[in-house]
Amino acid sequence: MSRRPTVAAPRTSLFRRYFLILFGAVVTPLLIAGGSEAWFGYRDQRARLNDLLDAEARLASVKIEDFVEGIRDQLSWTVQLPWSETPGDRRRVEALRLLRQVPAVESLSLVDGQGRERLFVSRIGLNRIDSREDHSAKPAVLGARSDRVWFGPVTFIADSEPFITVAIAGNRAVDGVAVAEVNLKFIWEVISAIRVGQTGEAFVLDRPGRLVAHPDISLVLRADQAAQRPLQDLRSAILARPGQAAAGQDIRGNTVMAAMAPIPGLDWSVIVKQPLAEAFGPIYAALWRTSILLVAGTLLAAGLAYWLAQRMVEPIQLLEEGVARIGAGQFDHRITIKTGDEFERLADRFNEMAGELSVSQERSERINRLKRFLAPAVAELIERTGDDRVLDGRRVEVVVVFCDLRGFTGFSSRAEPETIIGVLREYYDVLEKVISDHGATLINYSGDGVMALLNAPVACSDPALRAVNMATAMQEGVQKLLDGWRTLEEGLGFGIGLAMGPATVGRIGSEGHLHYSAIGNVVNLASRLCSSAEDSQILLDRIAADAVRSQVPLAELEPRALKGFDQPIAVFSAVAGPAGRPARWQRAGRRPSYF
Amino acid sequence: MALAGGLAAPWAIPARAQATPVIGYLGSETPHRYASRLGAFREGLAQTGYLEGRNVSIEFRWAEGHYGQLPALARDLAGRQVAVMVAPGGAEVALAAKAATTTIPIVFEMGGDPIALGVVDSLSRPGGNLTGVSSLSVEVSRKRLEFMREVRPGTKTFAVAINPSSPTSTSQLKNLQAAADSLGLTLVVLKASTEEEFDGMFAAVREQGAAGLVFSSDPYFAYRSQLLAELAVRHGVPAMTQSRDFPMAGGLMSYGGDFHQSHRQTGIYAGRILKGEKPSDLPVQRVTKVELFINMKAAKPLGISFPSSLLGSADRILE
Repeated sequence: MSRRPTVAAPRTSLFRRYFLILFGAVVTPLLIAGGSEAWFGYRDQRARLNDLLDAEARLASVKIEDFVEGIRDQLSWTVQLPWSETPGDRRRVEALRLLRQVPAVESLSLVDGQGRERLFVSRIGLNRIDSREDHSAKPAVLGARSDRVWFGPVTFIADSEPFITVAIAGNRAVDGVAVAEVNLKFIWEVISAIRVGQTGEAFVLDRPGRLVAHPDISLVLRADQAAQRPLQDLRSAILARPGQAAAGQDIRGNTVMAAMAPIPGLDWSVIVKQPLAEAFGPIYAALWRTSILLVAGTLLAAGLAYWLAQRMVEPIQLLEEGVARIGAGQFDHRITIKTGDEFERLADRFNEMAGELSVSQERSERINRLKRFLAPAVAELIERTGDDRVLDGRRVEVVVVFCDLRGFTGFSSRAEPETIIGVLREYYDVLEKVISDHGATLINYSGDGVMALLNAPVACSDPALRAVNMATAMQEGVQKLLDGWRTLEEGLGFGIGLAMGPATVGRIGSEGHLHYSAIGNVVNLASRLCSSAEDSQILLDRIAADAVRSQVPLAELEPRALKGFDQPIAVFSAVAGPAGRPARWQRAGRRPSYF
Repeated sequence: MALAGGLAAPWAIPARAQATPVIGYLGSETPHRYASRLGAFREGLAQTGYLEGRNVSIEFRWAEGHYGQLPALARDLAGRQVAVMVAPGGAEVALAAKAATTTIPIVFEMGGDPIALGVVDSLSRPGGNLTGVSSLSVEVSRKRLEFMREVRPGTKTFAVAINPSSPTSTSQLKNLQAAADSLGLTLVVLKASTEEEFDGMFAAVREQGAAGLVFSSDPYFAYRSQLLAELAVRHGVPAMTQSRDFPMAGGLMSYGGDFHQSHRQTGIYAGRILKGEKPSDLPVQRVTKVELFINMKAAKPLGISFPSSLLGSADRILE
């Protein structure tokens, strides 16, 4: 991964981005939904609480009213008949029975049509019969006479027990008025039976805000105006926003929700209160539920987003890593992604690409090797076709061309190494160019000798002619060089031998040292011809000569006995080609034999 | 105790965390005479979540009728540093408790007016370390005279029984005298402050030509309803006391505060104080219920027939 550091680290990670996007996509609607549900739920619950407390207050007020009504109804029995001047015992029995029936009535005073007290019965004081005291100016009597029913203000006996005077007049003035002292402690039985929810209570305030009834009777009996201030404040808070349950403090300092209902005739207020925690219990429970769901949803969303982001990024990371390795030349690396989607396809593409890269690299390496001994055109061909089967061993008709310098051994032993190397470089440059120009294959160099091959590995038309033309071009090029070199060494010359015939061609050699070559009699022949050639001479064997006879002027020389051949071999010499100079041997005065 | 948290109301838990609180109970008589009152007291205590032997214990001191011992017994309880001292059964007990401590909360129970008796300054805000329950027994003594006159119409002389050692005797006598005046009756005042004097008192009713004997409200009399009823029957005297025990034991009538209610309320207040409320925050409660008991069986040998007005207003008629 040597290339990794060259790739700049990304500014932000894909994982983080995917995670945030996915998380946001899930959580945002969740939060909006949860939040709005909580808000609307809160409002609904709040409204329900209002209704509930309101209903409780009205119910409580009805119960208190029933208590008062009950007393009033009982009293109304005592003012059904007109008074006569003679007192009867019947009324007394009735009045006593009323005391027994209605424990809250502490005493009862019956006043006749003239406003005189005719009967007074009490639980504590002595009864009075027919005292005929004038009560006509008493507010209770006056009030009952004008309104039929009259309720006095609440008074606290001994600064403690709440009492109220209830007066009721008969239908006719002669029926008189009944005036009862009612001990309001008895409302306790009613008020303490009222439960608002689990622990909520009701209490009653009179018009000035004094506590008339409370489940804890001792609060009423204490008649402590200062201590009752919170309850009055609570009533003010409710009155300030009619129809709404109000939050406030009760007498013990607890925060409560309260609602109120009036008791019409008495001008009292019945207030129901419920501890805030209890009243808001369902709201809090709902909010809790929502928040727990939200938290769970958020966690789930985070988990989901993490998983999805991981799933998305993982193949990308695999791809990145794989590409980096392939980029670093590890063409055998394969990216394994089995997501079944575009990523898998992309990975497959990368794998294909890596395979192709591997093949092409292999090929280019091979071609580079081939280029050393193949003519560039051949190398190109093999490169283009990508097929090097042409290099496989086979038997084919080839033209083998050998050439070397004459007198080079003596020169090389005398000359400076630099000079020798320089000479050889120029010499090979010329030869390689010529070989390449003629589509021949350079098989090998050995010292000053060079072997070239035509018609293999790539077949060509007229290989013999090509070989002759090539040899001619070689002679021309090298002779030019020799002209220069003769100043260094007199005896230098250049000879070429070529032969045509079947040979085994192919890659020969060991695994580490492979080269393309030809094996066969024709190779020996060409080599021997080259050895026997004089400077400037191009010697051909019979087969090559037969192949080019029609195009190239040849001179048949005397058959020669060549090493390795039993019979003397027919040898031909190529005369200067169309574009070439006169052969050196011509200038030297040697007579060629013309056909 | 392990079950207390599960069975009792939540306040039992803090109570269990501390040592079990101790209530000092000061009684003027014997446990036997107090039995019905004690039952009512325990009922009230249970209403606030306290059960003797489970999360509260009660230390009793009994004067056994010797009211003079009450101050010493009260001091003894105060010395034991009880959590709350309960002093039921009359002004003597309350005053003895009050004298013994100014710190330990005291819950009293009496038939008289606690302000007039100097037990508290105010009903609504008692102040100090006392609060309690007052029944209307003392105040309604005059009503007994009224009832007795109804039972014995046409007679003008009635005897009243007074316990001169009672702190309320003077005010009750004054009250009764005023009632007699307004009713146009003559009173024969008979005094008794020990059981030994009872017999003589009943005998005196006859001797003095009184039509009936009306007892003033006094715990000493009230706790001896059984004895008084026996004497009334034996002497053939129509008598009326404050306590329902009297007609139930064979006496003629009773009219007085409902002691069951007052003692139960005492128990509730004791419980509330144990739970941490201050006695000064608890107003003195008046038990408003006054009950009329009539014994028809006792009326027969006395040749008495109850008028319908009386029968109509009786809370209970024993037949």
